[in-house]
Amino acid sequence: MSKALKPLIVIILAVAVAAGAAVYLSRQPDQPAETAAAAPTHADIQGGGHIRGPEKAALTLVEFGDYQCPSCGAYHPLVKEILNRYPQQLRLEFHHFPLISIHQNSMMASMAAEAAGEQGHYWEMHDALFEHQREWADSPNAEPIFIALATRLGLDTNKFMQGLRSPDLQARILKDVTRGQDAKVEAVPTFFINGERAHVSLSMEDFVQVIEAHLHK
Amino acid sequence: MRTRSVAIAVLAFIGMVDALYLSIKRNAGPIPCHVTRGCTDVLTSKYSEIAGVPLSWFGLAFYVVILSLAVFKVFEDPKHPLDRLPGWIFYLAGAALVVSALLVGIQAFILKAFCEYCLLSAALVLTIFLLAPHPGRHKLPE
Repeated sequence: MSKALKPLIVIILAVAVAAGAAVYLSRQPDQPAETAAAAPTHADIQGGGHIRGPEKAALTLVEFGDYQCPSCGAYHPLVKEILNRYPQQLRLEFHHFPLISIHQNSMMASMAAEAAGEQGHYWEMHDALFEHQREWADSPNAEPIFIALATRLGLDTNKFMQGLRSPDLQARILKDVTRGQDAKVEAVPTFFINGERAHVSLSMEDFVQVIEAHLHK
Repeated sequence: MRTRSVAIAVLAFIGMVDALYLSIKRNAGPIPCHVTRGCTDVLTSKYSEIAGVPLSWFGLAFYVVILSLAVFKVFEDPKHPLDRLPGWIFYLAGAALVVSALLVGIQAFILKAFCEYCLLSAALVLTIFLLAPHPGRHKLPE
């Protein structure tokens, strides 16, 4: 073998082995050590959140999410699609879990969703916040953007603005955060299906598999 | 020098696995932390990408280059030593060290959350930099 070829082969092999190792590791079940001991795999976290889907659905998908979190934004279309695919068997229960230390507008976004909810349009605002996340996420003044969204949804702007400052709505969000902390939620989005922590990767196929597995339990 | 080059290649290999793992996991949902808290916070923050390209891809490119340089140094022909390669490793690792320090600072002071995979990468870069001989020196003790 030519001397010049040897290092090239070693480099290509190393890259291939590294890629294989990374893929293998990424497919291992996610069990954070710090939470594995303490985090219940089955948590009584249902109730208190906003519900989308039939009351008597066999499965309740509980999501702890942050409207400013890009990951939650990426999951949003998948969650909507999975609800469309299982219209009778599945319902979503959303809980706020704003990571206020790193997402400056997350709390106000949750307030916007709750304020819209006061006018009976929680889910419309929920969808709008995720779908327009890039427009407001890094804005130093996101409030006008939220108000514009509310106007677009046909909400009463004055009531909506009052809602954005409502201590009651803030307390509701903080209650969700406490509920999440009790369930050892430490990343967003975190999903539970019928109280059982669910690890779902960002693929529709995986989501369907997880739902099917729970439906056939 | 050969021992150091092998050590640098091994460290770069670990860095490649780390960077590739992060690149895959970043698009696959929440990233679990095993030692620190806040991997997802760090890796979904606005500091985690440049012009839409995740930093882990830059890290991967860095480690592939370092691995390649180190492997070529290991397999060099003693009659025609590749004297410039250690210098390139030194300067590249030095630049990466500055970037790593900046990123650790962002985690500590701005995000107030740490990502263990990023800290591992910073430690690898530091070790590679310390192992890489200063280009001014020619003969190094084994």
